[in-house]
Amino acid sequence: MAVATASDPSPIQVLADFGKSKSLRTLLRVLILCFIAGAAVSSRLFSVIRFESIIHEFDPWFNFRATKYLVANGFYDFWDWFDDRTWHPLGRVTGGTLYPGLMVTSGAIYHALRAMTIPVDIRNISGLLAAAFMGITPGYISRSVAGSYDNEAIAIFLLVFTFYLWIKALKLGSVLWGALCALFYGYMVASWGGYAFITCLVPLHAFVLICMGRYSTRLYVSYTTWYALGTLASMQIPFVGFLPVRTSEHMPALGIFGFLQLVAFIYYIRSALSGAQFKAFLFVGLGAVFGLALLALVAMTSAGYIAPWSGRFYSLWDTGYAKIHIPIIASVSEHQPTAWPAFFFDLNMLIWLFPAGVYLCFQDLKDEHVFVVVYALFGSYFAGVMVRLMLTLTPIVPPKAKDPEQEDVADISSKKTKQSAGSLRSANSPYVGVYSFLSKGLVSGIMTIYLLLFVLHCTWVTSNAYSSPSVVLASRMPDGSQHIIDDYREAYQWLRQNTKEDAKIMSWWDYGYQIGGMADRPTLVDNNTWNNTHIATVGKAMSSSEEVSYPIMRQHEVDYVLVVFGGLLGYSGDDINKFLWMVRIAEGIWPDEVSERKFFTPRGEYRVDGEATETMKNSLMYKMSYYNYHTLFPPGQAQDRVRGVRLPDTGPVLNTLDEAFTSENWIIRIYKVKDLDNVGRDHAAAASFERGHKKKKATKKRGPRALRVD
Amino acid sequence: MTSLTSFLLLLFTAVAQAISSSGSRLLVVLEDVAEKAQYSKFLGDLEGRGFEVTYETPKSDSLSLFHLGERSYDHILFFPTKAKGLGPNLTANLLLQFINAQGNILLALSGQKQAPTSVVAALSELDIHLPSERTGLVVDHFNYDVTSADEKHDVLLLPTPGALRPGVKDFFSPATPNGEVLALPQTIGQVLGNGALLTPILRAPATAYSYNPKEESEVLGDELFAAGKQLSLVTTVQARNSARLTIVGSADMLTDQWFDAKVKKVDGKASVATVNREFAKRVSGWTFNEIGVLKVNWIEHHLNEEGQGNQSNPKIYRIKNDVTYSISLSEYEWDHWAAFQVPAEDDLQLEFSMLSPFHRLSLKPTVNSEESTTYSTNFKLPDQHGIFNFKINHKRPFFNNIEEKNTVSVRHFAHDEWPRSYAISGAWPWISGIGATVTGWLFFVAIWLYSKPTGKGESKKTR
Repeated sequence: MAVATASDPSPIQVLADFGKSKSLRTLLRVLILCFIAGAAVSSRLFSVIRFESIIHEFDPWFNFRATKYLVANGFYDFWDWFDDRTWHPLGRVTGGTLYPGLMVTSGAIYHALRAMTIPVDIRNISGLLAAAFMGITPGYISRSVAGSYDNEAIAIFLLVFTFYLWIKALKLGSVLWGALCALFYGYMVASWGGYAFITCLVPLHAFVLICMGRYSTRLYVSYTTWYALGTLASMQIPFVGFLPVRTSEHMPALGIFGFLQLVAFIYYIRSALSGAQFKAFLFVGLGAVFGLALLALVAMTSAGYIAPWSGRFYSLWDTGYAKIHIPIIASVSEHQPTAWPAFFFDLNMLIWLFPAGVYLCFQDLKDEHVFVVVYALFGSYFAGVMVRLMLTLTPIVPPKAKDPEQEDVADISSKKTKQSAGSLRSANSPYVGVYSFLSKGLVSGIMTIYLLLFVLHCTWVTSNAYSSPSVVLASRMPDGSQHIIDDYREAYQWLRQNTKEDAKIMSWWDYGYQIGGMADRPTLVDNNTWNNTHIATVGKAMSSSEEVSYPIMRQHEVDYVLVVFGGLLGYSGDDINKFLWMVRIAEGIWPDEVSERKFFTPRGEYRVDGEATETMKNSLMYKMSYYNYHTLFPPGQAQDRVRGVRLPDTGPVLNTLDEAFTSENWIIRIYKVKDLDNVGRDHAAAASFERGHKKKKATKKRGPRALRVD
Repeated sequence: MTSLTSFLLLLFTAVAQAISSSGSRLLVVLEDVAEKAQYSKFLGDLEGRGFEVTYETPKSDSLSLFHLGERSYDHILFFPTKAKGLGPNLTANLLLQFINAQGNILLALSGQKQAPTSVVAALSELDIHLPSERTGLVVDHFNYDVTSADEKHDVLLLPTPGALRPGVKDFFSPATPNGEVLALPQTIGQVLGNGALLTPILRAPATAYSYNPKEESEVLGDELFAAGKQLSLVTTVQARNSARLTIVGSADMLTDQWFDAKVKKVDGKASVATVNREFAKRVSGWTFNEIGVLKVNWIEHHLNEEGQGNQSNPKIYRIKNDVTYSISLSEYEWDHWAAFQVPAEDDLQLEFSMLSPFHRLSLKPTVNSEESTTYSTNFKLPDQHGIFNFKINHKRPFFNNIEEKNTVSVRHFAHDEWPRSYAISGAWPWISGIGATVTGWLFFVAIWLYSKPTGKGESKKTR
């Protein structure tokens, strides 16, 4: 319940209702809102208290870096930013390939605070911005705890607010609210790629309304205003550009826009023509227009003017699609289909109150209720196919789930508590309910317990699951005290202190943003996975033998290679466990050179111990992970604690790389790429000479002499 | 690349005394220090050119190539020794380390003395092979000295080598070749691998071959070490860091005796004087960085567009910019830096590359001065943004390697660098379309506002 109220732009409502409510009620309402805001902010501070004020995860590091650039160089430089410290040597047209909403918002707050002569660091803003927005549902908290400086931090707020404005515009049929909706839609587009959800949901709502015969001039006015202005606004973002008129994802909005014109026209015709004439006109005219439009769409798609549905989109319908066709998308854990427990974990009891709420919507179906139903259906579906999209579902669940509660509570107290409902649920018709004192007490008691449980659950999830910065790991010592494992920062700090400023670091793309943000060193690939081939190149270098990898690394001017190895600590998110994705992505580009099959034993096992395949043992990733690892253990007892296997006594040999740094718990290992041999030998020969082996006499070889050719 | 100060310093020292471009500390390793009398002219020439010579025997305890991790000497000259090994101070590893530390080595071998094991091992790492018995004599029944080796045919008489191939500067022939001959007594031949770092100065003639004089076998079959052009008699190696190693197959050719001996070819009418002394000077001069040394004085690139700032070496360009690149090069000639002229039929090339070259352009000399030549070119950057390198990768035989990489970013067009819409004629229909819509709408609004509403609520609906 708390959640919903926090998500409402209730002050407006409060003001609107002010005249009607008693002053005490208003005071209570304000107090409750204040408490909710306090709870919302403080629950997000778990991570700061548990760990420290640090930016979490991966993407926030990029946002942080981008914001620093924005604040340092101004908006226009930011807009035209060519980032030569990522995607070496391709560089990234960062200004044109990011959603600038978050950075610009932070920049604005920063400058505003500066203007008010409050000394503030951009770091503080990025840390707390996220906390400043919504309620306490874990599903959303995952993206908005303090330190999680991610696009979603403001985007979900904008999403909900845009929907609110849309409903408002629809109810009033007002150009002003429609334009406001478009404005916030533009802000949303600037902030998060998930704006496509609005782009599809609003036309869908309109379409459903028309199909239900609920067409009205209010719909016409609000939709056309929103579409025309919103599309123009969205096209101002360089990253979006002409996508709204060129990709299939945006076509529904355009189609409904055209459709609405038709419908409006037909309504006009109907008022002017007789019934029979109108019928004939309707069939012929509508059929022709629809057919033509469809034909045009198909033709333009096949001619390439309109991009077909992107792979990411297909993976929403067929969850196996990405795994086969676009491993890079499938390799991200957020893109996996959601497991059922995750729903309960993130939404707790809301998950079963939710359907009841949807049901109640049907009781009194208005335009806005249709929207809620449509949203609920689609949100649930998307949340089911992709973990990440749980986020889009989260905002709708609490308001809906709250409905049945409200109904309960409302019944019990016989309409006494006319709730401070949000716009989504603005009018509850009086309801005939239970009047017995016992049943009243029972039901309200149960509801109170549920609510308490919910709050407990949310707090627990927030503090335990979502407040870990993932840069810093926490573990418990035997005596129960907390032990912080800080290998990531140790390694990044090492890079920052000990390498040249333009030393190129090759690592798997997961760590790209962190290396860019924390170590301030150029990387080959990062979490902005815009170039699949470049990532596949890194994958190939990691999964091939040294002889193959070395020329690749030379060509890309790699100075250091960074791997994450969890074998000593039992840290399962390491590179060996991600390795198959590297292989798969590389195989997608070079099927002749990299083969996933060769990393499995003949019996189909993925092994890293003595039984591992030759390809596995010779791969750069394997060698870097286990180089010198056996020396930590007494002979015969080398053990990999993640995969739970015993390792062979002789470790791999590295010829083209030198171990440069290994962190305290061996989580991060950094290798320096050797230069070419000074006297022209290959690295294996040079290394073998260094180890004191004599060169095999070439003269002993039989066969034709190798003659020198000049 | 030496900095300006060290360049000036070098210049001053060069004025004071003719000297190598990379230091004057020369270590001479001999079996016995007294042996140096045999090579007095050669060593005298070296001292005359300004080298501070230290004489050591391999067994000497004070001999150490490195002191506190720094080279103790700039160059080493090995004369043949009797011992099989050279002891712990001159292991193969140390010799390679010396080369890796940019030290130069001149190695004189002899067909009469075994090459030491550490030298053989070091050479084998460089892909240079000596006869397996560690001794082998090159003989030629057509090109020997009649006066001294009428029986054994083991004193080769060869013409001065000339240029290796067209486009390669000839460092080792006298200024005006005049049919002079080189005499190579008791030579040991070397067989070279196909590495690009190895370059022979003097090859054996086609009729020469190498054999082991201790084995008196009548027929030479498979045992033959090598023959003809595959035998290199004087070989150079230039490592990637431009450290130089030269192997002279015949140490005897450096002795006083052969410096001004009179020799007679097989079909020669009269005795002629050898040019060994001149050749020895040039070979040692090359090895010890007195000739064939190139230096990059500076590199400069800038925007070559009208109305743009003329900032030197900017970090960032934009795609399709016009750019000028210049590099100033000097060549060291015995005692001074001189202007470097690219040999005829050769080319100095600039690559503009990201992953692979987008441009490969010849640089043309633009400014010539006493001490340097400036090579430049103008070109348009490719239509591809990224992190590019201006790359000079000039590796030629007998010149030290020039490998220069200047990294610049090439950015995309900024939002305000595109032509304005009205400047594009193709956009005019659209612009006029916008104009028509705006005027039409204003017109409509004006009419709407000034016409009397016919029914109530209708204006609201149409809005």
